[in-house]
Amino acid sequence: MASTGALVLSLAACGSSGGGTGNNASGSSWILGTTETVTAMDPAGSYDFGSWNLQYNIFQQLMVVPAGETQPAPDAAQSCDYDNPKQITCKLRPGLEFSNGDKLTSSDVKFSFERNIAIADPNGSSVLLGSITDSSNPDKPKLADGAIETPDDTTVIFHLNKPDTTFMKVLTSATSSIVDEDVFPADKELPDAKVIGSGPYKLAQYKAGEQAVLEANPKYQGDRKAKTDRVFVQYFSDPAPLKAAIDSGQIDIAWRTLSPTDLNDLEGNSDVNVLKGQGSEFRYWVWQLGTKVGKQKAIRQAAAYIIDRDAIAKNAYDGTVKPTYSIVPPGFAGQKDSFKEKYGATPDVAKAKQLLKQAGIKTPIKIRLGYTPTHYGPNTVDEANELKSELNGSGLFQATTDDAEWERYQTLYKQNAYDLFILGWYPDFLDADNYLTPFIRDGGFYGNNYSNPKVNALLDKELGETDSAKRDKIIEQLQDIVADDVPLIPSWNGQNVAVAGKDIQGVEQTLDPTYIFRFWMISKKG
Amino acid sequence: MLRVLLSPFRNTSGLARWILVAGLVITGIFVVCAIFAPWIAPYGFAQTGEHGRFPKMAPPSATHWLGTNDQFFDILSRIIWGARTEITVVLLSVIIAVVVGMPLGLFSGFIGGWVDRLLVFVMDALYAFPSLLLAIVFAFLLRGPLGGGTVAAALSLTAIYIPQYFRVVRSTTVSAREATYVEAARAIGAKNRTVMGRYLFGNVIQSVPVIGTLNAADAISTLAALGFIGLGIQPTDASEWGYDLSRALDDAQSGIWWTTLFPGLAIVLLVTGLTLVGEGLNETVNPALRKRRIRKVRLPSRASSALVEERS
Amino acid sequence: MAAAKGSLPRYIVQRVLLIIPMIWVLLTLVFLLLRVAPGDPVSAAVGGKLDAQAMAAARHQAGLDRPMIVQYLDYIKGVGTLHFGKTISDNRPILDVIRDNGGATLTLTLGAFIFALAIGIPLGLLAGRRRDTVTDAVIRIFGVVSYAAPIFWTGLLAVILIAPLGWPTYDIASPETKFLVPAHTHILLVDALISGQPGAFTDVLQHHLLPCVTLGLLLSGVFIRLVRVNLLQSLKGDYVEAARARGIPERLVIRRHAFRNALVPVITVIGLQVALTMSGAVLTERTFNWPGLGNQLVKYIDARDYTAVQGLVTFFAIVVVIVSVLVDIINAIIDPRVRY
Repeated sequence: MASTGALVLSLAACGSSGGGTGNNASGSSWILGTTETVTAMDPAGSYDFGSWNLQYNIFQQLMVVPAGETQPAPDAAQSCDYDNPKQITCKLRPGLEFSNGDKLTSSDVKFSFERNIAIADPNGSSVLLGSITDSSNPDKPKLADGAIETPDDTTVIFHLNKPDTTFMKVLTSATSSIVDEDVFPADKELPDAKVIGSGPYKLAQYKAGEQAVLEANPKYQGDRKAKTDRVFVQYFSDPAPLKAAIDSGQIDIAWRTLSPTDLNDLEGNSDVNVLKGQGSEFRYWVWQLGTKVGKQKAIRQAAAYIIDRDAIAKNAYDGTVKPTYSIVPPGFAGQKDSFKEKYGATPDVAKAKQLLKQAGIKTPIKIRLGYTPTHYGPNTVDEANELKSELNGSGLFQATTDDAEWERYQTLYKQNAYDLFILGWYPDFLDADNYLTPFIRDGGFYGNNYSNPKVNALLDKELGETDSAKRDKIIEQLQDIVADDVPLIPSWNGQNVAVAGKDIQGVEQTLDPTYIFRFWMISKKG
Repeated sequence: MLRVLLSPFRNTSGLARWILVAGLVITGIFVVCAIFAPWIAPYGFAQTGEHGRFPKMAPPSATHWLGTNDQFFDILSRIIWGARTEITVVLLSVIIAVVVGMPLGLFSGFIGGWVDRLLVFVMDALYAFPSLLLAIVFAFLLRGPLGGGTVAAALSLTAIYIPQYFRVVRSTTVSAREATYVEAARAIGAKNRTVMGRYLFGNVIQSVPVIGTLNAADAISTLAALGFIGLGIQPTDASEWGYDLSRALDDAQSGIWWTTLFPGLAIVLLVTGLTLVGEGLNETVNPALRKRRIRKVRLPSRASSALVEERS
Repeated sequence: MAAAKGSLPRYIVQRVLLIIPMIWVLLTLVFLLLRVAPGDPVSAAVGGKLDAQAMAAARHQAGLDRPMIVQYLDYIKGVGTLHFGKTISDNRPILDVIRDNGGATLTLTLGAFIFALAIGIPLGLLAGRRRDTVTDAVIRIFGVVSYAAPIFWTGLLAVILIAPLGWPTYDIASPETKFLVPAHTHILLVDALISGQPGAFTDVLQHHLLPCVTLGLLLSGVFIRLVRVNLLQSLKGDYVEAARARGIPERLVIRRHAFRNALVPVITVIGLQVALTMSGAVLTERTFNWPGLGNQLVKYIDARDYTAVQGLVTFFAIVVVIVSVLVDIINAIIDPRVRY
């Protein structure tokens, strides 16, 4: 036993460059730790945070959303404008190159979109490109004829198949990344380690599930110049080692996902900063209008009177989330706290009681709440229990909770297994419509049987409206209708939280609702 | 039968007896908790308040002897109710495994021939499989139709243990089958069923409790591991120590020790208790280890004793 | 009793031939389980975003709606030609996953084994020698408790204790080491050694300490009890009694005769702990963020990635089967009574 101890000491003495605090002797690199996973580096093969984040750093898009802002700004393009609601013209910067020296021209841009749609990877995000897709043959989607026109090397013209004012924002998402047509195959994905882009960083090493190493790309042209030469991204399978790592300084930044307890504890660590920016993660309770309980508007409205969002935020999430009163999160153009206006900021049991009485509904009402225990994190069960006790505490409901693992949950909630069930949402791009169309048009992606022709008409109108003031008004109208019909009850918005060492700069600026972690803005002192 | 069951106890002496007793006492405490939970536990397992909410993650105090966790539950109550969950799951899985594995082993060992070979083969393949992985896959499979409940967890553990009972019982049967008294029984004209039931069964049943307790210990560890990975039992359905532990592990790094320590200790204690019982029994049931004052120098057949140790 | 001259080679051949059918049984079992369970890779990945129609299209693309028997035959054929396929959730060839992450699991389990043996054997022998004394009791209780404690619990306690000391507490090496060491054998420990990079080998070794000790503690509990039991058994043997009768001092009896004979069966039984080690490795790898196959397996199970889980489980099964066959053969060589 003594000999093992001596061995331990001697290893500790000579191993100072390997582990321990302050990993980086050089100062021109930093380490990010995250529990996100990477599905694919190829933009045609992914629709998740972990993948998209690397893609934003490795590739250019025509436009990008700068930190803290909501409107697109040029990146690979020097300008992109709507000629009319069905046509966008972009002019590329001259002389762009990929990190391997290949020239970036309009044909690369067209190629990128074309292959993304054709490959149609089940894990991919080509569904966002609906406005330029020809899906007449569902087995073989392809770029609609004439959808992308490239009259010369630096001009790209998009012809959309319907008026779509959100498409400009789609151009800023990682699905629109520009890839090198000489390197990427047109019909399948490129192995992760081989990706080539024109963004501020290039991929120097990728060990799947372990780490990715990015190095500054000297050939990058644009406004997003990298501040640090080398970035290590380490992937953690569990939050516990992630917390230990940031707590002891073995990594410089921890982003997604630490528990509320961890965050509160890290606040007390003087070597790190817990930084919070505005987020756009969304939790909401969906009514299944196909059930006896769900189809009665008075019941839905009564529950909206009773829900205590502050209690949920405090008890289930230790105050790390913000209650939200609209289907559209704050910070988006056209956002309006419609639920607060209609139902008040705090619970009102008396009004709920009155409402039910007027509608002639007998209380207590038996209601089944559904949730899924792991997909959205372990605190989901706490929120469900919290809502249950609020509903039961009012005396008007008799609520029970039921859960199912994610795979079954998705089928069950469409089959009327629950009256009211919880779901989460991250936006694909920052536009109010991304919180509207997927939810309230004809049952939404979750099939809750809500369908309101007035809503559908307004959605069509806002998608085609280029005057932003007018569009905001329509969006406000939609939120009011939603607050009245209550097809769902919004619960909370997540914040975009990261923990960074005291010597790291630039992190706070990048924490915004886009959830794009902009490596190029971050640097380490010393 | 009673004499057979009590003989291990009476045969022990010295340290072996103490170990057996210690194991029985520890296990007994948990069994008592399991049976009398509604009367012993101060609160319900999903109770979050009495007159007003319980505090969240409060350290041990007069009203909450072991403190509360981050779901507002009283930890002492969770531990006591948890004993019920653990014991239920373990009992279910061991019983089903024995009920399936033992007859199969008896039958297979006795019949021999290609049926025997086939069964041995399938069971060997199953036995070689890492138990946790099998449990994980089963937990996924059964979670859907049965929900995240005790039954799903129990069944997922069952599949792992059937091969073990099968193996031991079969090898004992194989060696016993050649014994003279069996031959004699056959000579009298006893039917196969009688031979298996009356003669072999008594022989074979001696090794089952040893394996049973060791398996029970294993089952609890596996249940906790399932809870850690997120495939266990939901907190509102029942109290399960592994789940509480997985929620608490994060907190431990923030200086909140009571949410982690007590469920962890509970697991360690119960598993230890069961293992001690198994070990104690092994000391007496296994003739090679038994210390008797009058020693008959009779080496046991290598197969049965080796297999009994293999499991430990 | 007289073993036929050719029975050893025959036994070996018998055991080796059984490998393939055994693996086939396991594969079929896993395939069935995964297919019968609800959910699939598509719904796990994009379920919250796409509507029913889009998901059906995605499933069709991934070949998940073909008849069961077609998928099954496809799978068996693939394994037979050593084409394990690619993972569905992140498009990696499974052989790549095994190649890239197998080394980490290998060094973890070997390190844990070495530690467990270093602790387990001496303690087991000691306990057996001093049977029924306090020493025996303490050692046996230690053996039981170290096995009983959930490994993710002890692991985390270890992390909490060690992290403030500046010792690395997760992963197999620092990011720089992983970046700078070229992959030749794909076993990082070995690659670091042969790379000649200053400090790389020590770095990897340092990172091994905590996980190997944690997993090793769990295994040592089992070994202590095994060794002890076997020692007690061998002490009953006739040859021990004979040695005592000849007047050899007890000390020498134990050391020269009993110990050696006690260890022989232990070696073979230890080999059978491979399955236990793998289960332990899965949990250890999650606790320490170790980039091994166990970690990958849980990740792919979470993602409902059939192909990946099948491929990895197949690999595990093959390893376990081969090891147990090897162990059986070694056992047969050493102990003639085992051959049938």
